[in-house]
Amino acid sequence: MDARIISEPSQNKFLVPRKAFTDQAVFEREYAEIFNKCWLYLGHASELPEPGSFLTRKVARRPILFNRDRHGEFHALFNACPHRGAMVCRERHGKSPAFMCMYHGWTFGSDGHLMTLPGAAGYPKDFKTDPQKQMVHVPRLDRIGDFFFLNFSHDGEDLATYLADAGDYLNLVSEHSESGMAVTGGTQEYAIRGNWKLLAENSVDGYHAACTHSTYLEYLKNANGALGATPLEGGGIDLNNGHAVIEYSAPWGRPVASWVPLWGEEGKTEIDGIYGKLQKRLGEKRADRLAHKNRNMIIFPNLVVNDIMAITVRTFFPTAPDYLEVNAWSLAPVEESDWLRKYRLFNFTEFLGPGGFATPDDVEAIEKCQQGYAVGGDAKYNDISKGLAREGEPSFDDEMQMRAFWTEWDRRLSAAED
Amino acid sequence: MNENLILRLTVEDLLIREAHLLDSWQLAEWLTLYTNDAHYYVPPNDVDGDTADPDTSLFYVMDDRKRMEERVVRLGKVGAHSEHPRSKVRHLVTNVQAARENDIVRARASFIVSRAKDITHDLFVGHYLYDLVERDGALKISKKTCVLDMEALRPHARISIIL
Repeated sequence: MDARIISEPSQNKFLVPRKAFTDQAVFEREYAEIFNKCWLYLGHASELPEPGSFLTRKVARRPILFNRDRHGEFHALFNACPHRGAMVCRERHGKSPAFMCMYHGWTFGSDGHLMTLPGAAGYPKDFKTDPQKQMVHVPRLDRIGDFFFLNFSHDGEDLATYLADAGDYLNLVSEHSESGMAVTGGTQEYAIRGNWKLLAENSVDGYHAACTHSTYLEYLKNANGALGATPLEGGGIDLNNGHAVIEYSAPWGRPVASWVPLWGEEGKTEIDGIYGKLQKRLGEKRADRLAHKNRNMIIFPNLVVNDIMAITVRTFFPTAPDYLEVNAWSLAPVEESDWLRKYRLFNFTEFLGPGGFATPDDVEAIEKCQQGYAVGGDAKYNDISKGLAREGEPSFDDEMQMRAFWTEWDRRLSAAED
Repeated sequence: MNENLILRLTVEDLLIREAHLLDSWQLAEWLTLYTNDAHYYVPPNDVDGDTADPDTSLFYVMDDRKRMEERVVRLGKVGAHSEHPRSKVRHLVTNVQAARENDIVRARASFIVSRAKDITHDLFVGHYLYDLVERDGALKISKKTCVLDMEALRPHARISIIL
């Protein structure tokens, strides 16, 4: 493959070929080597609250039925009828002990087994138990805490190994709550006319904030009492296997658990209470980190978990080199009080998502990159070298975390050639 | 003319004026159509937008009056990259219904909002739910909810204009 990165740290050089964003062959190879082999985020346990709960979702272009059987066990099934291939479940979510294909009426249990089919007399006696006539389970389904991942490949490393140091960061998100985290309901579902890796980069890019989001930062200054005195500072951490995080302090409030003047004295009492419980449960050091640090994390290839003024879980898949589809959820402690929940959601929408004060400008940047790549010719590479020349730890606004992503991307795609 | 018809025409008049102000980017004037405690909402696509509660569910937009003002300030800046240069916007508002409910006028209308910029042209389709109240002898908007009758914001990506 001629779309290789150029990494020469001793020369302070890290270049990414623009062909990686535009080439159809690269796109096909990404599906074969990355999306069909990596662990991909499927959903959160709280989205399936009870036995019989189900939801349908596309993961890496494939329709998936994610559900719980009557014993409460979780299943991930390819949502296609073994008979003629029609999508079996056509609803987005709900509760059902069985799923009937609308085409010929084959009906499946929540574990995918064929329960009944009309006109059974026309088939041999053991037809119904033929393994080929059952809905197919996704090869591998595993969880870390309440985060479920699937893998379309039968072999390869297990989830814990794959997640490497990112696993503990996911645990940290779960530890916001003593009784469990839950998706708040309401999904932001949008698309961007750009390559999916542009969003991966953008999600952990501390460098672009000052310019791309100048209007958001100015807005924060005007929002009386919304900002504390904490400075914006921190660093990037390589979590291995292509995962990376920036962990930093910031002046905005966090429902768990950094107070800002806007919340008043009553709010301070509640935040202090939450923090006190965190200290008891997790110890001084971890509680301090959880409550007072922000984290923007990319889990290779396409899961972003931002634990900032709210928690967003975001996944995205390409359908073409220049088009991606995003799903973003908000995650919150189950026991959260009404006013904090309200504040959390209010805060989430201020910055994040299609109607926020920041995401639309990220979209603009991504789409303008994609359009810019059309110049082709001699302008072949993007520069991702910021911070290579720095002595000591990487800053949160360096590009180390993007280099971690790209190095893994390059490793997986080039290994396929050997 | 009967009272209901007059009410509907009065509401239609206001909605037509709002559409004109938004289409011509007179956003400061647009704010004058709203009460000082107004809200502007856009619920997401996977909830019932007519009944969804912004206090318990994630929305696309949940602005109080203060954030509406900040939205207008932001959209006036060069740094609001998504709307610089400004997109061409056209609001089509139709099927207006209005009824009095004590001191509030509840109104519904259908909309198509067109946004064109650079190489993109997107249509937002849905219905409005308005709460209107009398202020100094005129109707003002105290709440506007834009329910998108769409499966997702695809390929739109953003609601950087005001719907």
